[in-house]
Amino acid sequence: MTETSQSVQQNIYKPAIMKIVARHDEAPGVKTMRVEFQNPTDLELFKQRYRTGMFGLYGVYGEGESTFCVASPETRNEYIEFTFRQSGRVTSALANADIGDVITFRGPYGNRFPIEQFYGKNLIFVSGGIALPPTRSVIWSCLDQREKFGKITIVYGARTVADLVYKHELEEWGKRDDIDLVLTVDPGGETPDWKHRIGFVPTVLEQAAPSPENCIAVICGPPIMIKFTLISLKKLGFDESNVYTTLENRMKCGVGKCGRCNVGSIYVCKEGPVFTAAEVSRMPQADL
Amino acid sequence: MVIGYKPGTTADRRRPHFIRTPEEADQLVLDSACITNLSGYLVSEGLLSDEKAVAIFLKPDGIRSINILAAEAQLNIDQILILGFDINDNQVTALEGEKVEEFATLIESIKEQAPDALKNPLLEKIEGMTPKERFTFWQKEFSRCIKCYACRQACPMCYCRRCIVDCNQPQWVNTSSHTLGNFEWNIVRAFHLSGRCVGCGNCDRACPVNIPLRLINAKMAQEVLGSFDHFAGMSHTQEPVLASFKKDDSETFIL
Amino acid sequence: MTRILQSDNLDKCVARWREAGLTVIGPVKNESSSSYAAVEKAAEFDFSLIMPDRSIKELFFPQTEPMLQYTIKKQRIDTSDFTPPPEKRIIFGARPCDASGLAIDDPLFGWDYKDNFWFQRRDTTVIVTIACTKADDFCMCTSLKLVPDSTKGSDVLLRPLQNNKGWQVEELTDRGRDAFNEIADLLQDGSEPAAPTAVVAEKFNLDTCVAWLQKPENFESTFWREISMRCIGCASCTFLCPTCHCFDFQDEGDTYSGIRRKNWDSCSFALFTMHTSGHNPRATQSARWRQRIMHKFNYFPGKFNVNSCSGCGRCSRQCPVDMGITETLQAISTLQP
Repeated sequence: MTETSQSVQQNIYKPAIMKIVARHDEAPGVKTMRVEFQNPTDLELFKQRYRTGMFGLYGVYGEGESTFCVASPETRNEYIEFTFRQSGRVTSALANADIGDVITFRGPYGNRFPIEQFYGKNLIFVSGGIALPPTRSVIWSCLDQREKFGKITIVYGARTVADLVYKHELEEWGKRDDIDLVLTVDPGGETPDWKHRIGFVPTVLEQAAPSPENCIAVICGPPIMIKFTLISLKKLGFDESNVYTTLENRMKCGVGKCGRCNVGSIYVCKEGPVFTAAEVSRMPQADL
Repeated sequence: MVIGYKPGTTADRRRPHFIRTPEEADQLVLDSACITNLSGYLVSEGLLSDEKAVAIFLKPDGIRSINILAAEAQLNIDQILILGFDINDNQVTALEGEKVEEFATLIESIKEQAPDALKNPLLEKIEGMTPKERFTFWQKEFSRCIKCYACRQACPMCYCRRCIVDCNQPQWVNTSSHTLGNFEWNIVRAFHLSGRCVGCGNCDRACPVNIPLRLINAKMAQEVLGSFDHFAGMSHTQEPVLASFKKDDSETFIL
Repeated sequence: MTRILQSDNLDKCVARWREAGLTVIGPVKNESSSSYAAVEKAAEFDFSLIMPDRSIKELFFPQTEPMLQYTIKKQRIDTSDFTPPPEKRIIFGARPCDASGLAIDDPLFGWDYKDNFWFQRRDTTVIVTIACTKADDFCMCTSLKLVPDSTKGSDVLLRPLQNNKGWQVEELTDRGRDAFNEIADLLQDGSEPAAPTAVVAEKFNLDTCVAWLQKPENFESTFWREISMRCIGCASCTFLCPTCHCFDFQDEGDTYSGIRRKNWDSCSFALFTMHTSGHNPRATQSARWRQRIMHKFNYFPGKFNVNSCSGCGRCSRQCPVDMGITETLQAISTLQP
């Protein structure tokens, strides 16, 4: 029995070992890392299971584990990319890890974006700040099979220009003529040479005014942005069942046992993290 | 609001009771089973933030707790009305006064009796042990600890928004409930309560596995009294013993 | 005619099981506290306890347990597993509520991902339950639709004899039969009647409570704040509970080697759900108490078709401020549905 299959069958809390192969500073305190599986069996299992939207627990032994989405798409499943803000014990340790260092990964866990159901439809992605990573995995999943979708619009904003993540990809998306990219920063967050919008994401979204006709919206951002974006989408005529988002709750086990992540009766780690806005609105709002 | 007691599940139990309407006063009881020190509720989030007065039933130990909380700037004593009582031989007697200052003489007399009152046969037995025997004794007692932190939560003095065991950068105290972690927790708590514990027994009674926590705190109280003539909760302006220093201190590391 | 185990023979049974390699565990009281603990002789058992202070849970899900060990060398990590000790055990004298508690948590530890720290111990432990002939003011199994002689989660059920000199034996599973085959010659046939089971008054109507809990508008009822005002936010109710299963992971060691542990954690603690950002979905004690009640009687049954409570009453019995599930559900059952 190989080490990996043993870990799956015997100790569900045993992580896979990953090597950091690339590391990128995105914004102040925000980093992206690309990691590769050290054990081929672990990689095979990941490739079988991973679908865009799922998350994992990334860890540094001696410090613990932290939950982030997998920011790379299922169409590129030879590696994992994840983006995080350095803020606690584990993220500080991760931030200190360098190329060549090894970290741990458990997952992929949770549900997925039903991307096949988006075929033939127009897509609008709305996200803010450090919440672009979960949206980004969906964006690339779609861009990697671009012909299957209609019009693609991306609305992305951050507090300041410096806080925008994936700047090199934003540049790439901006150059493509099959993507409508709308970038914005909060008033006061612009630099002298900022050529894009200035304003809050929901306002900019309303100005962009995407048609709800045959359109799916994917929104990720801080709770306050989500709240107002949902109002804007409603104004634009979007049905809640065509709006997707992800919930990010504190997790320890990732597999429905440790008791932390539930919102009402929903175990975010197993039934989420991907939900439609209709599903979220049925949850007890005070528990979010 | 009035904070008092109401009947509990069984005849010997009393529950903390928060009275906001005249009808709620109907359930109020005061008898020899009302032993819980209620003063910790005063520092629970939001209770005093409206700056309205709160009346609270307190035994002398509870009044001393109020003094410490005020001395440590956790509450404004002007907001507190004391409904003082004492229990002797299962009899409840009312205490005169409603402001902490009015109980100063009473607390002074309690201090005078403290050297005797803090004596305890088991404590003396433990003091008679060799260090190794003592270690074994506490190891056995602490082995039952499950780190539910009922001792901390029940203690009026444990008001920290973030307890040291909940700090993880760095992780000062092991969170695991094994021998080392249990020792660390209980010893850290004993130190943090030195010169602050009034011996109300809330922790001891709250402990679901009956660790004799009161012994540790009584021992620390004896030490602080003997070494510094400090008796916790004498007044609302008393200097905290472990947070004050004297220039003529014999220890060179002080200054 | 039923099979009888005489109390006088119990010491021989204990010896026999121990010779067969079983660790024998049962209710034990020392001066200040009681628990299910390993014994060498039957005299160490205390069957007079209503139930031990600490529930049976800790024998399957210890308060702290190593999960894996790591060593880190230059750009290389080695992880090795800890597995629960492979010892075979027999728990003699479990209470029906404790045994039920284990059965309640089985689906939780088994859905999709099987937690073998739990199941390895479940698979190697024989549970011999003694029906209750007495109860205290806090017992509430009947309110949870269980009974003082419930067989749920047990491998063998014993009913105390009326003459108090032994037990009627009811083998329930193959595992139980195997363990009792070891001592078959120490059992007798007899007709001594069993003592009546304890009378446990029904304290609330569970269906009424569940109906109230399931109504979405009651999630934000002021009831939650009122009922939990005196909660001090300790974890004694959850840690003593035979079915509360929440846990935390904790690494102990340094950058080069150490152990990752699984530790009990509690929904009562403010930090339990706190996000790194500082946002806390359950920011108040009342939200946390609501979570505990909702989880036990609404969410858990929604997932696993069983309430996450076996009615042992420890939460109320040991609460420093005399709260607990009983009081809350009693109060709910008087509310308008």
